[in-house]
Amino acid sequence: MVADYWENVFTARERGQQVVWYNGSAVNPIFQAAGLEWCHGEAFSARLAAQQLEKPAQLAAEEYGYIGELCSYARTHLGCAVLTQQARSEDQTGVVGLIDQQELASRLPAPDFFVNAYAGCSTGQQWDEISYRVFGKEVPIFNVSLPFLWGNKPDSGYLRGREWDEASQYVARQLHDLIAFVESMTGRPFDWDALREAMTYIKRASELRREAMELCKAAPTPATYWDWIASIAHINFLPATQELVDYFQAVKDEIVKRLESGIPGVQNERYRFYFDGIMNWNKLGWLAKKFAAHDVAMVCGRYTHNAFWQEPHLIDTDDPILGMAQHYLLCPTNHGTKTLKYLTNRDCEEYGVDGIVFHASRTCRAFTNPQHLLAKAAQRELGIPSMFFEGDVADASFYKDEILESRLVAMLETIDLRRSRATA
Amino acid sequence: MTQPSAGALSTLIEIAENPTGYVTRWKTATGGKAIGAFPMNFPAEIAHAAGVLSVVVQESREPITSGRNLLTEFYCGYTRNLADQAARGRLDVYDGFFLADHCIQLLGAVDVVREEGNRPVYFGQLMASMGDPWTRTAVDGKMLSFREELAEFTGRTIGDADLARSIRLFNENRRLLRSVFDARRAGDATFTSAELQALVKSSMVMDKEEHTALVRRALAEARAARRDGRIRLHLSGHFCHAPRPELLRAIEDCGAIVVDDDLFHGTRYISTDVREDVEPLAALSQWYLDRNVSVPCPTRVQHDVDWDAYLLDSVRASGADGVIVLMAKFCEPHMLYYPELRKALNAAGVPNLLIETEHEGLPLESVRTRVEALLERIRHSQLANA
Ligand code: SF4
Ligand code: SF4
Repeated sequence: MVADYWENVFTARERGQQVVWYNGSAVNPIFQAAGLEWCHGEAFSARLAAQQLEKPAQLAAEEYGYIGELCSYARTHLGCAVLTQQARSEDQTGVVGLIDQQELASRLPAPDFFVNAYAGCSTGQQWDEISYRVFGKEVPIFNVSLPFLWGNKPDSGYLRGREWDEASQYVARQLHDLIAFVESMTGRPFDWDALREAMTYIKRASELRREAMELCKAAPTPATYWDWIASIAHINFLPATQELVDYFQAVKDEIVKRLESGIPGVQNERYRFYFDGIMNWNKLGWLAKKFAAHDVAMVCGRYTHNAFWQEPHLIDTDDPILGMAQHYLLCPTNHGTKTLKYLTNRDCEEYGVDGIVFHASRTCRAFTNPQHLLAKAAQRELGIPSMFFEGDVADASFYKDEILESRLVAMLETIDLRRSRATA
Repeated sequence: MTQPSAGALSTLIEIAENPTGYVTRWKTATGGKAIGAFPMNFPAEIAHAAGVLSVVVQESREPITSGRNLLTEFYCGYTRNLADQAARGRLDVYDGFFLADHCIQLLGAVDVVREEGNRPVYFGQLMASMGDPWTRTAVDGKMLSFREELAEFTGRTIGDADLARSIRLFNENRRLLRSVFDARRAGDATFTSAELQALVKSSMVMDKEEHTALVRRALAEARAARRDGRIRLHLSGHFCHAPRPELLRAIEDCGAIVVDDDLFHGTRYISTDVREDVEPLAALSQWYLDRNVSVPCPTRVQHDVDWDAYLLDSVRASGADGVIVLMAKFCEPHMLYYPELRKALNAAGVPNLLIETEHEGLPLESVRTRVEALLERIRHSQLANA
């Protein structure tokens, strides 16, 4: 499904389709309803990194002047923008040149317009502004501004309080403006029925995903965090169709089957961990194997469990805009630490977690911001220990394997010691 | 609060170097409340109108210790230091904190301030996308929320007349400081760039009326000097916190003279006045929007405002021979915009150099070598064009 999606993006120009580049929130159902092809910048960077194909784009970015400490998603994607723009000015085809195609395994079509709707991280909005400049300020851009859910008032909290209500309405109003902008770009009236239909599929897919996650509270867990990582693309940006619903139905069925047959996600589950941080796409398989080798089942995490249409009850399929706006606000980097402590500790308790792994992603400060405070809170309030390892979202050079290995061993020893004391 | 016997400039420098000392003295003398405001756009006029001393929290010089366990090392020097100051109780002199800017690293640090301390922290997020049809209304709403919050914080209402008075005092202060910067552009060299920084930094800390009076005295006491034949430089960038004075001195010691800048602790902070002929809160909203046009900032998103074009215009206007971009290491908006600056400067044939700064460790020797190389390049091109 994912490969088909990208193939579709790459062939958009040949099929005379308009292409929108966007970052941040999953506004893609709006593009789908408008008959556009959509290309999610972070997803593209993640894909390149997961396939170890990120280097050419990162080199192009470096040559253009981006410093290596800049968000590697942005750096990779801006590198693609630089290459795409060069190719566009070379032959006006809007397709990355042949050598770059081979290196990138991609044919990223130049955008007809940009939409930016980035929650949590200020870099997200600035990044698209720079893409706009890299393309010579000739490609139209639309910004949706998503307020940070800081939690100023005593009534502020997860899905509640005046701040939440006002922010939800504020974003919903902007989505209506976005739709008007999309109409002006396509020259067609917006198909509201198509949006309602798309959101109906997303709501159902999300319900199935949440139900399946719920089943993973069992010990041993039938599926792990890494399995949920593998289905992020599906819930985040694939077309919302019956196929999407079928996919998550199959995921859930598989988990039920595993539970019934006693097949665990990790062969010999002895420890249950929570993963905090953005994914380290270069090391995805590697990390999954490393933790499994130590009998650690990574049962849940902030990036998978507190993101991606995670509150389907908020979606009113007849009038989906408000629920969409609310999900865009529910990005796991868009909360103050107070709310994140609540979410993390809640999940740690519900999933019976023994320890937390913090991925200190070098160039993604949005995710690292609250990590030390979360670690302290989990230790203080639940007695759950944690460990940090250094890596990055899409730049392999920041990953430090020795640190991960030694800290993991140390944390497992701490947990063993505590267990033996408890049983003594 | 200030020591009248000292030379006014030395007093200003002393306050710039030790803001906490000033705030403590001010609180003792007035019995008033002080708030720590985080850079770069908090409308301090509203706090002033409520009788509060609003201080832009400055980076301290202490090495980072406890803060290491609260924020990782790949944050800009300002935010790392902020977390450290919070952890060590160095911010206890403030009765509350206010923030208007959405920078992700800054939010991380301010959340540490909130979690580690017990003072109220209010974030009124001024939207960073400046040109949308709803920007103005959203900014108006935030200005109103600042007024409400500060009224609650102080227990007093903030009337339009109070606000208008504060706006007048702040404008007067900005105008005075701008006159000094304008003079520098026109060839005055009375103050070094480190001294000019102290004038601005102390303005961020002090009561505005007192500051204005002290700057007037410093101007009266100063011995006027004209610019000599040294190579003229523009310093660009460095948001939120001040580049170290010793860095500025090292640059000038290499045989250059700074003739203009767009630093936050410089032209950026004093660039824009608040209109006095419209309703005060509306004027503050307009100020926020105008500011990004006066001196564009990459923390904002505004399609028809270009920092690169602004920089080239400034260089032409001041006659600078080259540009040094000072970047707080890890500052994301600056890293994102930097290639656009470099591209524009190179295309216009303006020699330029990037220097990154960190909270700890300023490699002065290597800075000197690099600045000298830049100056050499400039001399060569001047000879070639002569
Ligand atoms: S730093 Fe992280 S959250 Fe921010 S734009 Fe980059 S990947 Fe997104
Ligand atoms: S210096 Fe840059 S990264 Fe640091 S707080 Fe300011 S804008 Fe943010």
